[in-house]
Amino acid sequence: MIKEFNILISGVGGQGVILMSELLGKAAVKEGLKIRGSEVLGMAVRGGSVTSIIRIGDEVYGPLIPLGKCDTLIGMEPSEALRNITYLSKSSLVILNTAATIPFTVSLGQSKYPSLEEILEKLGNASGRIIKLDAAQTAQQAGSSLTTNIVMLGALFGTELLPISIETIKESIQARFPAKIAPVNIKAFELGYQACHRALK
Amino acid sequence: MKELTISSDAPGERLFVLGNEAIARGAIEAGVQVAAAYPGTPSSEILETLAGVAKELDIYVEWSTNEKVAFEVALAASICGVRAMACMKHVGVNVAHDALIMASYLGAKGGLVLLSADDPWAWSSQNEQDSRYIAEQGYIPILEPSSVQEAKDMMAHAFELSEEFKHLFIVRSVTRIGHARSDIVLGEMSRERRRGYFKKDPSWLVYTPVQARKNKPLMLERFEKIGKAVNTLPYNQLRLADRAKLGVIACGLSYSYTLEAVKWLGIEDQVSILKIGTPHPLPKELVVKLLNSVGEILVVEELEPFVELHVKAIAGEANIPVKIHGKDLVPVIGELSTRKVTEAIARLTDSKPPVDFAELDKLEQETAPLLPWRPPALCPGCPHRASFYAIKLAAKKVAREHGKDVEPIYPGDIGCYDLAYNPPLEAVDIQICMGGSFGIANGLAHVVEAPIIAHLGDSTFFHAGIPPLIDAVYNKANITMVILDNSATAMTGFQPHPGTGYTATGDETIQLKIEDIARACGVKFVEVIDPFDLKKATETIEKAIRFDGPAVIVSRKLCTVIELREKRERKEKVIPYYIDQDKCNIKCDACIELLGCPAILKQDGKTIIDSSLCTGCGICAQICPYKAIIEEKE
Ligand SMILES: Cc1ncc(C[n+]2csc(CCOP(=O)(O)OP(=O)(O)O)c2C)c(N)n1
Repeated sequence: MIKEFNILISGVGGQGVILMSELLGKAAVKEGLKIRGSEVLGMAVRGGSVTSIIRIGDEVYGPLIPLGKCDTLIGMEPSEALRNITYLSKSSLVILNTAATIPFTVSLGQSKYPSLEEILEKLGNASGRIIKLDAAQTAQQAGSSLTTNIVMLGALFGTELLPISIETIKESIQARFPAKIAPVNIKAFELGYQACHRALK
Repeated sequence: MKELTISSDAPGERLFVLGNEAIARGAIEAGVQVAAAYPGTPSSEILETLAGVAKELDIYVEWSTNEKVAFEVALAASICGVRAMACMKHVGVNVAHDALIMASYLGAKGGLVLLSADDPWAWSSQNEQDSRYIAEQGYIPILEPSSVQEAKDMMAHAFELSEEFKHLFIVRSVTRIGHARSDIVLGEMSRERRRGYFKKDPSWLVYTPVQARKNKPLMLERFEKIGKAVNTLPYNQLRLADRAKLGVIACGLSYSYTLEAVKWLGIEDQVSILKIGTPHPLPKELVVKLLNSVGEILVVEELEPFVELHVKAIAGEANIPVKIHGKDLVPVIGELSTRKVTEAIARLTDSKPPVDFAELDKLEQETAPLLPWRPPALCPGCPHRASFYAIKLAAKKVAREHGKDVEPIYPGDIGCYDLAYNPPLEAVDIQICMGGSFGIANGLAHVVEAPIIAHLGDSTFFHAGIPPLIDAVYNKANITMVILDNSATAMTGFQPHPGTGYTATGDETIQLKIEDIARACGVKFVEVIDPFDLKKATETIEKAIRFDGPAVIVSRKLCTVIELREKRERKEKVIPYYIDQDKCNIKCDACIELLGCPAILKQDGKTIIDSSLCTGCGICAQICPYKAIIEEKE
């Protein structure tokens, strides 16, 4: 029996959060796993918060992760990771892209953006472990800033906690992108994988 | 091996899909031949999926002008013996209501299914609304899935049920079904394609008072048969636990939360569960069986206490002395979750949740003040922003001449432009439902003395804007009606509409011009503006407001998201603007405070433009008092 494994991806419209869960889901199905998840797409195109949930396991039914039962939180943006803090517990792992996306309300003086230290402290207290990545920079290194989400997906696999093989997820990535840009994405995946793997050692 | 897709004839294979794709797949498996819809989150992907395979599978698919038309299109097909469906969001069902109620009198010949997508917590809607009441009012059976797989299965089965009982069926989805993702097992695909045949039969199809009286008993008879049959449908399942004192009746998606809650609490052997897949009509026999087997009942359902009230009625009728809980323990507002269901069950079973929810609530409260506000906003380069800037400038000028205290009134509508109610634009004073802006403006015109400038989008104009426009002409309402024409139904995912010149399946068609319609309706002042030419746009709007009688402005500019997409395809570069820091007066902030464009930011005490977000619309450059905003050189 496959044990329950809950992944929450949080970010901002335009960061490719939904694509990450599509890739994960396709790969999981190829491996014969049962998958549940959901997302709020509504007004995401317009720069709002986006969360996507992927749950793997034979006894998973609902489309939402029960509070405190998130195994891995992928924070594509620090404050958006913080927004989902109540899903965490001491056994959760947080993988955080440290690059902030400041909402325009901050420029308008309508709200404030917390410091990274504050965010890390809060998330640190609520979870078991945080892995920090500058995913945007890693994406550049891979050859395109558009691959930040794939770097983070690589990092998720770098934890080696998932019941999905690297080959399968790479196949999903390969199949999803046109031949011209697939290699950049595979590279991004590998760099993300290594960064997380190293951090965990 | 060929990659599996939503149209693969591959029974038994597993596919990872969005809930709405699963619903479309269900219809495909049933051999649906006609599908009509008007977009609305969270339902739009259903028709989009069907449109994508329409030609390959020989399905007629259309985006209709509104939900009522969509439903009537499907109804007509059913009358002619063809399997047909309509899909819409919950508020769309209100628009289709008139026809829907009559469809129940008519019954169905070809399988007829209405998919209503409810949106608990109003993630992307103007309200929360429970479609089950409309089903009840019309004697329409409703199916409510507990998972994505079941949504597909029910959808496919609904067509068969509809033909078996000669009656319309509704499938009620919710956001966490339609926008859930899951693996599904594909079923057999019907290849049957029928030819529609219209048989003249006024006693069935023409509704005069006499006919209504004659056909109502037939409708009731059909419904009664369905009421018996639901007891053995696979979607309703009773699982009695030996040691149970509590029975949980879980409707639709709530069933999945209930399974998880009971497992979380570790009390699987102490709770009997009745899974409900047909909240209307309820499987009465199963309900009675459960009521007789336990001392206490908890009804779990999203939104209103629909099942709860019916179960209470059944208990009363059968004289079963059992305490029935529902909305006293489970919220009537918002989506349910494993937590909410766990808490309710824990209270009734004296068990303890493994997670300290109070602690998590405290953490949430502590965290909330730290979080920046990230509302969705009009995109950088959105033409609506420019239109609103011009509307407000013109309206304020005219209002001032009416008196110091006179403020223009801006009735707004539903579409991307409703995001402009936020500061700094604050260009929406009232917004209720599609087409409501023009209707409300008509009423205001007869009771207040102020310039009234109402706006709605192009898709909304075709949907519900034309009757109130005619009302303004007929009843001489002195209002200005602005149509924000971005050549798309942008809010719901850029679907085409009668003003775009092509159909759901990408075929070219006649492109209706809003200005022609306005003129034909008798409006004497009709002008088309380019909102990115701010000066001219403002002058023209001012003229419209001053015009004595109803006036129409068509503010025409392609939606930026589509514009950028097309530019990318043409390999055309976007040329952003930048701020010349030598010229910028840092105390001014006009660009930020007047436009609220997400691409203009404050950084280290400077105002800058994020060139990765800027689309080069140039509106900020037009309003900068210091001429500090400049187009980058290629
Ligand atoms: C009766 C009803 N049907 C559908 C919707 C969903 N919906 C919200 S806005 C919108 C249309 C937006 O299109 P348009 O008026 O062209 O404005 P745009 O978003 O393109 O600016 C729709 C269909 C709704 N709210 N109410």
